[in-house]
Amino acid sequence: MAARFSILDLGKVLFRPGAVFAALAAESPPVTRVFFGFALWVGLLPPVFACIGTLNFGWRLGVEPVFLPRDTVFAISAAYFVALLFGFLSSAVVARWMAVTYDASQSLGRCFALMTIVGAPLAVGSVIHLYPHVFINVLVLVPALIWSMYLLYRGLPIVLRTGPNRGMLMASALIAYLLVAAVSLLGVTVALWGSGLGPRIGT
Amino acid sequence: MKLVSLHRKIERNSGLLIFGILVVSSIGGLVQVLPIVLGDAHGAPAAGLAVYSPLELEGRDLYIRESCSTCHTQQVRPLLAEVKRYGPYSRAGEFAYDRPFLWGSKRTGPDLARIGGKYNDDWQRMHLLDPRSVVPASIMPAYPWLASRDADQGRTIQARMRALQQLGHPYSDQDIAAAPAALEGRTELEALVAYLQSLGRSMAGEPQP
Amino acid sequence: MGTASYQDRIVTAFTACAMFWAVLGMLAGVYVAAELVWPTINFGQPALSFGRVRTLHTTLVLFGFGVSALIGTAFYSVQRTSHVRLFAPGLAWFVFYAWQLAIVLGGCSILAGWNSGKEYAELEWPFDLAIAVAWVAFAIVFFGTIARRRMESIYISNWFYGALIIVVAMLHIVNSLAMPATLGKSYSLFAGAQDAVVQWWYGHNAVGFLLTGGFLGMLYYFLPKHAEQPIWSYRLSIVSFWAFVYTYIWAGPHHLHYHAIPEWVQSLGMVMSLILLAPSWATMVNGIMTVSAASQKLRTDPALKFIVLSLAFYGLATFEGPMLAIKSVNVFSHFTEWTIGHVHSGALGWNALITFGTFYFLVPRLAGVPLYSARLANVHFWLALAGVMLYVLAMWGAGVSQGVLWLSLDELGEVRFSFNDVMAAMKPYYLLRFVAGLVFLVGAMLMAVNLARTFAGRRTIEVAPPGSRVGAGGRT
Repeated sequence: MAARFSILDLGKVLFRPGAVFAALAAESPPVTRVFFGFALWVGLLPPVFACIGTLNFGWRLGVEPVFLPRDTVFAISAAYFVALLFGFLSSAVVARWMAVTYDASQSLGRCFALMTIVGAPLAVGSVIHLYPHVFINVLVLVPALIWSMYLLYRGLPIVLRTGPNRGMLMASALIAYLLVAAVSLLGVTVALWGSGLGPRIGT
Repeated sequence: MKLVSLHRKIERNSGLLIFGILVVSSIGGLVQVLPIVLGDAHGAPAAGLAVYSPLELEGRDLYIRESCSTCHTQQVRPLLAEVKRYGPYSRAGEFAYDRPFLWGSKRTGPDLARIGGKYNDDWQRMHLLDPRSVVPASIMPAYPWLASRDADQGRTIQARMRALQQLGHPYSDQDIAAAPAALEGRTELEALVAYLQSLGRSMAGEPQP
Repeated sequence: MGTASYQDRIVTAFTACAMFWAVLGMLAGVYVAAELVWPTINFGQPALSFGRVRTLHTTLVLFGFGVSALIGTAFYSVQRTSHVRLFAPGLAWFVFYAWQLAIVLGGCSILAGWNSGKEYAELEWPFDLAIAVAWVAFAIVFFGTIARRRMESIYISNWFYGALIIVVAMLHIVNSLAMPATLGKSYSLFAGAQDAVVQWWYGHNAVGFLLTGGFLGMLYYFLPKHAEQPIWSYRLSIVSFWAFVYTYIWAGPHHLHYHAIPEWVQSLGMVMSLILLAPSWATMVNGIMTVSAASQKLRTDPALKFIVLSLAFYGLATFEGPMLAIKSVNVFSHFTEWTIGHVHSGALGWNALITFGTFYFLVPRLAGVPLYSARLANVHFWLALAGVMLYVLAMWGAGVSQGVLWLSLDELGEVRFSFNDVMAAMKPYYLLRFVAGLVFLVGAMLMAVNLARTFAGRRTIEVAPPGSRVGAGGRT
């Protein structure tokens, strides 16, 4: 099962995660397989949806839509894609680093697979980016986020083969990294807007 | 390690620890805050700045009583979009008679630094009594009680002006003596509107940046 | 009997009051959040209008909940780390009654419209004086206990509590300097731009030494205690403590970026804010490593879950703060809901969660019985996590939208969106924030019930300082 852990298992990952977790616990997947088989595709969904949505409807921030030039949209989408892959990989590395202290499996493949699984509900939920109205996006992504958190807290002790107690603590520690990564993304984004990439800003 | 052994001394002597914390935490304030407070450059009034009239002062204290600065800033930043939206950016000299300052930290409603003269008194009164009658999307609370209360109900305007006089505001003794008459028969609503209309007027003659 | 045991009744009293103020203060917060969605629900009552209740909210959670929790835990831990009873217990009870009375009357005065106009220091001068007296009494009890200690070294948690006491006294006294005009009205000794610089020196460092430093004192005592493991690195705690005390003071002007204060003050504030990340995170690392070192023997009870999660939000808040202090980010975030989100990721995620964790640890020990319901506490954990996450997300969405919409220009170089349109666009976020706050509040209420039930089944226990012959003996 783990050997053919791929994007084709997405449905299973989302709705029958127990079997996937057990398979990952039984056999550590190679990093390259997780990357090309799963992470790449999961990471591709949000930027593609966002790109299509932005070109067609513009950003809807509650007022009249903001349309961006084509090139800017492509640049932002590409940056989004790279940022997501970086997010998956870096959180996998952080998880492996933490695994030492929480006596969990230090297989990078497992950590990577776990982090992409945690990201999967959000990636699928990002289909709402097709209509980039911010609040509607928030409404859809909030349940997706709750599902992600559930997968993290439930999956971590199984996949990384540690006790439920330590798994619980490690999941909370990982949330620290994820929050910091999220807010960094926001900070970099607005700093880019200020420097001229994106909507026209008067500073 | 020398430092660690020095620290062993500090952490075994509560007096030394208190002294250490006091010294180390004071440095920033002494270097960064004290020069601003003592320097005249940031406390001197701008050329066209008048001290608040008794009615405006009463209005300002009502603005403070209702915590208007929770949602309204009084600070136009020197940014293109902000100057376009509100008017000339704020200068330190405009606030020389503001005790305390009311710049605020949150813009739930619009900035008010340049609100004076932007709307007439009637609009301001209607807006305070029923904000949604003039701005349908407004989420500001209504302040109906302002209309039914006399300004300076506690008869404290002279005490307040005297306190400010002691702090260096250029109120003359005659100003203070005449103040109660200036508030006679006025409502809190009128006082607050007078204050709002006074905001940003000292910069009227300044060129746009 | 009992004369030689630790004075824990006063700890219980502070804990109970802290929970009371937590629920009431958060209720006030949820109410003002609702007023932003439904602006007419003050029913024309002055005392229920947004400005006054919001001021009540911040006062109750900061000075009612936060400070009560800090004084209570300081009294608990300083006895145990000094191996002596409290110095001047009568004075300690004076601190308790004076503080609670100041909050009750001060809260009423805010609803009645007394307001100094200074954010997070709105209480008028009679209360400022009362607070100062109570604070000095707190300092005498705390440092008196330390002076009489039977341990050679002063434990780290006491450095942080000590810094809290000293620096907050300094900030409070300077920032409250005012000329009284009447009983309920005074004018700041500082005016305009000068007042702004003093106010944010106070405001930022009240956050620094109360909400960060004070609660780090709590962390440094209760985390190692709970993990039954000494703090991970003693040297790191020394370095981070002094770097923290030195650096924090400088960062205040980042609240005044692009304001009418000198450029050099703003830039200095920004640079020092960035440097501040180092000592802040050093402390977090120290905390996490302490838990990790003990991971073999950890049994996860609700208390530890809360404390570890609070460290995650501490990490977020102390990273987000320096980031928002960068001028090119601040230009978007300033005056927006992003600031509100940042404050709450710290206040809910860090301060409230670590206090909850500490109380779940402390109350069963004070009561001498196990927690009434661990299940209820677990439910609280998930409610708290969901509440704070939703809150932060809602404010991120709202704040970034405000930031970009306010500054957007059209092709002609004019502002693109009217203020009213942007304000109207915030409504859904305000609704989401209200729900998030409500979820968090419900969790806190469950906790209050849980702790009250625990305490109702208490058995008398008295813990004596080691070496004394009376009492049950041993440390808790």
